[in-house]
Amino acid sequence: MQPRSPDLGTFGEGRAGVARPSPSRGSRAGSPWLPYLYLLPGLLVFTLFVVLPVIAAIAISLTAWNGISWDTATFVGIDNYLDAFRDDRFWTAFKHNIYLIPWYVILPIILGLAPAAFVHRMKLRGSRLFQAGIFLPYIMPGVLIGVVWRWMLNPVFGPINTTLKDWGFHPPTWLGDFTWALPTIGFIGAWAAYGFCYVVFVAGMQKIPTDLYDAARLDGANGWQEFRAVTLPGLRRELAVVLAVNLINAMRAFDVVKATTDGGPGDSTNVLALYMMNNLGGNRAGFAIAIAIMLAVITLAQSLIVLRLFGDSDD
Amino acid sequence: MDRRHLLKRTGALAAGAALAGGISTVGQGAGSASAQDAEFDVWTTYTDPIRAELMETIGNAFGEANGVTFKHRGWQTEELGKTLPRSVDSDQGPDVSQVNNGEALAGPMARAGQILPLKEYDAEYDWSGRFAPSLLARCSYSSDGKTFGEGELWGLPAESEIVGFYYNKQFFSDNGLSVPATFAELETALKTLKSAGATPLVFGNLDKWTAIHLYGALQGTDTTREYLDGLIYRRGNADFTDTSIVAAAAKLVEWKDAGFLMDGFDGVSADDAQALFISGAGAIMMQGSWAAGAVRDGLGENGGFFLMPPVSSDVTVLHVGGVGIPYSITRNADDPDLAAKYIDTLVSEDSFARFVDAGQLPLGTIADDKIVPDTVTGDLYAGWNTALENDAIGHYLDWAAPQFYDVLTGALQELLGGQVTPEEFAGKLQDFYAASFA
Repeated sequence: MQPRSPDLGTFGEGRAGVARPSPSRGSRAGSPWLPYLYLLPGLLVFTLFVVLPVIAAIAISLTAWNGISWDTATFVGIDNYLDAFRDDRFWTAFKHNIYLIPWYVILPIILGLAPAAFVHRMKLRGSRLFQAGIFLPYIMPGVLIGVVWRWMLNPVFGPINTTLKDWGFHPPTWLGDFTWALPTIGFIGAWAAYGFCYVVFVAGMQKIPTDLYDAARLDGANGWQEFRAVTLPGLRRELAVVLAVNLINAMRAFDVVKATTDGGPGDSTNVLALYMMNNLGGNRAGFAIAIAIMLAVITLAQSLIVLRLFGDSDD
Repeated sequence: MDRRHLLKRTGALAAGAALAGGISTVGQGAGSASAQDAEFDVWTTYTDPIRAELMETIGNAFGEANGVTFKHRGWQTEELGKTLPRSVDSDQGPDVSQVNNGEALAGPMARAGQILPLKEYDAEYDWSGRFAPSLLARCSYSSDGKTFGEGELWGLPAESEIVGFYYNKQFFSDNGLSVPATFAELETALKTLKSAGATPLVFGNLDKWTAIHLYGALQGTDTTREYLDGLIYRRGNADFTDTSIVAAAAKLVEWKDAGFLMDGFDGVSADDAQALFISGAGAIMMQGSWAAGAVRDGLGENGGFFLMPPVSSDVTVLHVGGVGIPYSITRNADDPDLAAKYIDTLVSEDSFARFVDAGQLPLGTIADDKIVPDTVTGDLYAGWNTALENDAIGHYLDWAAPQFYDVLTGALQELLGGQVTPEEFAGKLQDFYAASFA
């Protein structure tokens, strides 16, 4: 096939001498359907495992259904959503998720950034081993983290309370205490996440051009000023990533809560995902799915805000 | 050309794989339909090795005698509850399954026609004649599946449960105590143990549910069959404004304030509490019959069991307890008659003996030759027989309404944490219970 003249071409930017594919025939140069064919398998999987279930979930959320037999489901419109808005326990759970944000998001960033900056500046040996160890909690299943911390915090035989008592303190029962249970879960979440932040920041710091640091030192900047002026701005994208990911984790907190307090004592550690699961188990599937949809929307909105605020900016 | 060829081949391969997968699934469905003639599937909540083996033993013998291949699958209770209805709806369900009583699962499944009524099999095998009516009531629904606690059988359990006090004999003998015969004696024993510096009651409520038993046991000292059945089966005037509800709550707080409950109990899980009790950390532990095996293995001769003693000899305590998860026939069963025969096998004397040997309480009375005196299991079995004889098996209070478990456990934690008074506690329960009728 002869390449079409750029004068006659209508696709893309014009540049002389570049062959353009014919729109009508799948020619040797590549059919316009080719990119879509490459996308098809992934799209199929995405449709089957994401799109269709989401559509089904939205449909279920508009019904009163006990989750047992679909024949018994009745259409109720947005009643489930209105019930959630009017439900005190929904708002309590939501409040708890918001409370967890500083613990799941801010604290791990600080705990990850500090050693990352230190290791980067000092160019420490053995940092790889340190990195592997610090990252380990992040890849532990949430249930395992919960069980381990439940033992650590056991008021009778756990090492934390026995040590504190040996030192003369009267520690609370942590996970069983109405005041301390939620902060304790927040702390466990921070512990699980800071390794991830550390690894991301270390990688990010490595791509900051060293001449920026040289220039800063030439201008007389000390370590802290270097960090503020060079490191932090250079980590903008990494900050966006950890903020978004940790925000999602804060909103969908479930495993650790279920494995430690199961929402207790009372309702003091109830979170949206747990409340949703309890309603699902309580034969209120429509209502539970409505909570799930709302949680997904809230999480998506938060992620978009973060990405907008910390979005693409060229260094 | 090459790229297109590659694409064609890849596409063909992918399509072929998808098709093959589809065919094999269909084939599996069709195949299992014909295989189900020879295959007899039973789903239970027995994931532990002891009870899973029990099922295999009983089931394989049944399979051999009836020319079917017995297949058992154990699930976590919650997972079974979520999977079973959907499996039955898509004709992938088992012949027989454990189906959780009441509105947790049995009620909705009965109304949706996913499990079969057992009325005619009851007549054939005389289950209603052979087992305690108060036990079978909790497996019964009206024929339309709407009213719980009366009518016909929709499931039959093979086991029972009762909650009581396991005790460490060493602590008792060290403090000159004997098994309390009255509630007052029990409180005296707890006081004595506390004064001696021992932990009277090894108790852990981090996972919320153990308080249901302790509270229920206290409430059971001051209640009647009529009231409790009315509350659980949701009929008559029974509700949470009854004086026994506040009184039991007040007593629970009194025990906590007196230091009878283990220090730090609100941060200790039930499993950890049990491990602590078995390791000798305290004198008494309230737990269900399911813990007997572990206590027997851990404490040996040092272990004993007693039920909640009555306030006086003319009052019957209604003990927290009930039946194990009943077995129902699903509508996927190829041969419901055979399924019913299997269920009857599970409640035969032979099976009961096997359950007892495995440390489980059977549905009926336990034969005397299984009761070894002065052992923890012997105490349990003797106590069980007596309770059965006196129609003294009460209920789990969280059965009173759908989703009541959540409310009751939370309120109990608030009560024990000093966040609510006994009156406020009763009020919370009553508000939810009353609203659940709307």
